[in-house]
Amino acid sequence: MTLRTYVIRRLFLIVPTFFLISIIIFVIINLAPGDPVRAMFAGRPVPPETVERIRHELGIDQPIYTQYFIWLGRLLRADFGYSYIYYRPVADLVGEKIPLTLELMLIANAVSLTIAVFLGVIAAVKQYSITDALSSLGALIGYSTPNFWIALVAIAFFSVQLGLLPVEGVQTEGMKFASPFHALYDHLLHLVLPTSILVLGWTAYLFRIVRSSMLEVLMQDYIVTARAKGLKERVVIYKHALKNVMLPVVTYTGYSIGFLLAGAAVIESIFSWPGLGQFWVSSASQRDYPTLMGISVITALMVLIANLCTDIAYSLVDPRIRYD
Amino acid sequence: MVSRPHAKSARAREIREVHKPSRATRLFITWRKLRKSALAVIGFGIILIVSISALLAPIIAPYDPQWSGSSRRPPSMENFFGTDNRGRDMLSLIIYGARISLYVGIGAVLIEVFLGLTIGMIAGYFGGLIDEILMRISDVVLTLPQLMLLILAVSMFKVRGLHVIVILMGALGWPLMARVVRSEFLSLREATYVEAAKSVGASNWRIIIHHILPNIMSTIVVLATMDIPWYIFYEATLTFLGFGDPSSSSWGVLLEKGYMYTTSSWWMITFPGLALLFTSLGFNLFGDGLRTALDVKVRE
Repeated sequence: MTLRTYVIRRLFLIVPTFFLISIIIFVIINLAPGDPVRAMFAGRPVPPETVERIRHELGIDQPIYTQYFIWLGRLLRADFGYSYIYYRPVADLVGEKIPLTLELMLIANAVSLTIAVFLGVIAAVKQYSITDALSSLGALIGYSTPNFWIALVAIAFFSVQLGLLPVEGVQTEGMKFASPFHALYDHLLHLVLPTSILVLGWTAYLFRIVRSSMLEVLMQDYIVTARAKGLKERVVIYKHALKNVMLPVVTYTGYSIGFLLAGAAVIESIFSWPGLGQFWVSSASQRDYPTLMGISVITALMVLIANLCTDIAYSLVDPRIRYD
Repeated sequence: MVSRPHAKSARAREIREVHKPSRATRLFITWRKLRKSALAVIGFGIILIVSISALLAPIIAPYDPQWSGSSRRPPSMENFFGTDNRGRDMLSLIIYGARISLYVGIGAVLIEVFLGLTIGMIAGYFGGLIDEILMRISDVVLTLPQLMLLILAVSMFKVRGLHVIVILMGALGWPLMARVVRSEFLSLREATYVEAAKSVGASNWRIIIHHILPNIMSTIVVLATMDIPWYIFYEATLTFLGFGDPSSSSWGVLLEKGYMYTTSSWWMITFPGLALLFTSLGFNLFGDGLRTALDVKVRE
């Protein structure tokens, strides 16, 4: 099988998965209590005729399977619904939030990947040394710390006690900026706390993977060969071993995008970072069901596509992978 | 010389005994390996402390959880961890909270193991169409981030009870367990001893329960131990974000309340968080040690 047929086959596999996910999301949300029309008016008195008219316009007076197919049909036309709370299309709202989440995730991911690879390689090469013991213990503690709690502690310490860093949002409200650089600086200040907390957790996570796969690679025959050829230890480790360590590390990151997104959701909520995760949490607590359905579908699609890309990248990088 | 059949069978028994140590012996060997790792022993100690606090909460806790004195008093000799906004003793609340956290972690893991084992077993042993269908379902459950799926699922219910959350977490947590069990079954299915059991006419269920299952128990135990802190975290996170059971007094609820007093009463968020960290560290240390002792290789 060539790469092209593999990609096409994988694309087709997404279809049934996506179909099943859409059914699950639809069923879950339609089982949820509360009347969406009542939610729209937030408890204000409305004449019953108006309620009936809106029900008819929204199509929720139809049987549930009809409603599902109407909804699915809209999804296929990239219509992800309309928020009753914000009175705007969900796709537009999500479109505004995605860049902010990506910013947070990409920065945090790049930083933690760098630290994790650096420390993980040292820990594996010098197994049982003090560095190894300390960084492994640190990773274990980082791994066992609830990230929302450490966020609260950081706010209490850095923002409240020391007054060093801003607590919420992406920019200081109502501040006049002298120049674009000043605005950027202000934005970067807002980034420090949320990204640092994400970095703490992810570094701990990635460190364990880097260390264990490095240990595995270092036992391989080709490393012995490289050393027997008289290569410098630095070359053996960075050119021969590290390449094969990075493969599982990068794929692992690709597959855990959903997990990263969920972790970011909690942090975004605490720091009022108006990203996708915070939007998800606030829509769920406001019971804004159309929005929730829209975000769920978009998130599912993002994860499916990220997984597909990871698979393709993996098979491109590693010639040993066969496409079957 | 005429061969004596009973002598042969005695020899066979001897061989069997050498190769298959009794359950008690295996437990002892595992324990001996575990004991060598200081970290695993510390982990075990932590789990023990948390379990004892949970079991003996009425005896250990200095105050009744409903007792109330002056509110938001900082840590002192009377209230080691201070008091909360309703004047309740934080230390006592945290000790009682251990009950909830352990219930959440262990309860959800039991459901996860039950579902994961059953589904993985069926998929891996029978293969074919059943396998394909079950694995597609697990794909679907794995696509949405677990926390988001939990938030969605919890919002289906009007009443957000603790039991509902435990059941939902277990019910949505099975796919990874099922996959590991499945892949173990796929390889063990071809083992010679399974072939031998088949050739003497053992039924499918007998093979699954008596021949394959004992060989994957250690993998399951390690995975389950390391999943317990995750469920405790998920419950705390859900509660903190406002999707939990506000009537319980889990560590998550304590944190959520403390969040409003972050600026003035640091003890209200510090101690429940430390309790979470401590418990999770215990299970992770113990799980790591167990994995090394039982020589389980699980992809993280």
